[in-house]
Amino acid sequence: MMQIKNLHAKIGEKEILKGVNLALEKGKVHVLMGTNGSGKSTLTKAIVGHYDVSVTAGTIEYKGKNLVDMPAEERALEGVFLSFQNPIEIPGVNNAYFLRAALNAKEKYRGEKETNAAEFLKLMRAHAQKLGMNPDMISRGLNDGFSGGEKKRNEILQMEILQPDMILLDEIDSGLDIDALKAVSQGINRMKDGERTFLVITHYKRILDYIHPDYVHIFQDGQVIKNGGPELVDVLESEGYQAIVKD
Amino acid sequence: MKAVNLDLVHTEHPLYAKLQSMGMPANKTEQYRNFAIKPLLAQKYHFYNPEKSVPKEGEKLVITNGSVSEFPAGVQVRYESDFVCDNAHYDVLYFYSHAVSVQTIYVEVTRESRFELEHICNQAETFLPYRIVISTAKNIHVEIFETFRFDASEQSFVLYGLDAFVNTDTTLRWIRNASINQAQAKLVGTHRFDVAREGALELNTFDFGDANALHLYKIDLAEHAWSRAAHLLYANTQARSGNIIAINHNEVYAKSAQEARYILVDEAVGIFDSKIRVDAGAQHSHAVQNSKAILLSPHAHMYAKPQLEIYIDELEASHGATIGELDADALFYLNSRGIEAEEARKILVLAFAQSLIDSIGSSHYVEKINQAFEAAYYKKEQ
Ligand SMILES: Nc1ncnc2c1ncn2[C@@H]1O[C@H](COP(=O)(O)OP(=O)(O)OP(=O)(O)O)[C@@H](O)[C@H]1O
Ligand SMILES: [Mg+2]
Repeated sequence: MMQIKNLHAKIGEKEILKGVNLALEKGKVHVLMGTNGSGKSTLTKAIVGHYDVSVTAGTIEYKGKNLVDMPAEERALEGVFLSFQNPIEIPGVNNAYFLRAALNAKEKYRGEKETNAAEFLKLMRAHAQKLGMNPDMISRGLNDGFSGGEKKRNEILQMEILQPDMILLDEIDSGLDIDALKAVSQGINRMKDGERTFLVITHYKRILDYIHPDYVHIFQDGQVIKNGGPELVDVLESEGYQAIVKD
Repeated sequence: MKAVNLDLVHTEHPLYAKLQSMGMPANKTEQYRNFAIKPLLAQKYHFYNPEKSVPKEGEKLVITNGSVSEFPAGVQVRYESDFVCDNAHYDVLYFYSHAVSVQTIYVEVTRESRFELEHICNQAETFLPYRIVISTAKNIHVEIFETFRFDASEQSFVLYGLDAFVNTDTTLRWIRNASINQAQAKLVGTHRFDVAREGALELNTFDFGDANALHLYKIDLAEHAWSRAAHLLYANTQARSGNIIAINHNEVYAKSAQEARYILVDEAVGIFDSKIRVDAGAQHSHAVQNSKAILLSPHAHMYAKPQLEIYIDELEASHGATIGELDADALFYLNSRGIEAEEARKILVLAFAQSLIDSIGSSHYVEKINQAFEAAYYKKEQ
């Protein structure tokens, strides 16, 4: 689904990604773990084309194209979705209005019929309910005054409505209470269809008990240093990052 | 054809001496510093003598070239020649407009009313000065929606103003919806709102387009009176446009809140100059003031000058002004969901404007303002 090859990237003058190699298989759930500040979020930002991150070398191949030179909105329209570690608040932009604009943009890009306002509201209400969201969040400003957990649920809501193919979840589990973790995990599981690919960044094992990853990758100092299966998580939990030996 | 200067005022006019001592506004006059008033006054104009035709009763209050052509039911309209103006006003053109207006239009609102006040100017190369006095009865709610139709008014200069009296327990909601363009008359409005005990003024102004237009206000608040002012301005091409406001808390328990949001495109210049003065006798005042400007082009310019002048020890007050571009993170968030750059910008600009449009709440006019805003915004897109 996505091949990241020798990816180098800077934020400002500082090199953060130092030759990332990562193969993400179609229909699989990949987990990325690594120490704070090692560059995991920077990697996701490089994949979605955030303006802070400038790629200096390497490629991100996806659906036969190199994403590196593609504008951010086109990457999204091609099915790449990032749930941000810290989703920002945009007061004044109605949550439903925003999400319908996003859905309509995608429908237009694919030459499909655009969902109208009434149909959309029904769809959004149904998804919000499944995620246990308060219905008034639909009509509030985008993430405006949302709690940490509410913001994460709102990211999952966007994911479920936009139906992307390549899903990057940056610490979707941090700050969630037990019920929210369940609701969010169920949302992720609903999206698994053997076609979609997930890259889940987390520091904790508990979400993995719900979403059952296929592969685990360890990130350190701007590189993927080890690839393995779920067993790697148990090593990390008991012995910490120093026990990981570079491949 | 003549320029606009003191020669137009009869030397025996009671305001002549005052005008002479104040002097006509020049480029250095504080309120007009960024508006380029001098060429506007120096230009040569025709002088239009308002016709005193008998107005017909209709739905709106219509002022055509300075005289009333239609008035709504429930509102008395007459002409007065000797209205006494507010001697403490800060703006020389306030006095000047009183001195050169042939007559004052006197509008008396005696019961709950809602009507449109339409200004029509269809004379080219003309100087058109006129003044309106609005008086209100006690304990009523009045909503006035002010609009401008300036077709065929190129190279003209409209100098008008209101003296509005908000009576005890009365609410006056004043909504200006102005979409004037560069090819039409230049506009200076110089106003005074006097809010009596327990009275309330809601001043909502919406100025869109590429006009050269400036409004100057003096708002006086008595005991327990309050005013809430919201100014939304969208200016493009070479517009110079703005609001200059002095709010005076003259007595105890007066409250004022003021919010300005400007969106400036191309080479437009926005002016927001506001001074809240809390008098020594105005204990327990409450004053908030805030202005935000978004510059959508590197050549647009905002002059913001928020000021608080306080003569009491304790009050609740705050003020602030920000000038910036659209938030890059917000833009990126929208892009990352597949919304292309131009559409994302539009969503953020509309959101910035929307809160002020919605703040007029229950008004029947929200839809019209939304339409006017979108029309101005999309014009820029062409
Ligand atoms: N905008 C920025 N300006 C300067 N440095 C930045 C910026 N964003 C990130 N960095 C730096 O880049 C490095 C990698 O940050 P990144 O957020 O990618 O780490 P992370 O692996 O996601 O960490 P965490 O587990 O704490 O979320 C850090 O040293 C961080 O301080
Ligand atoms: Mg991170």
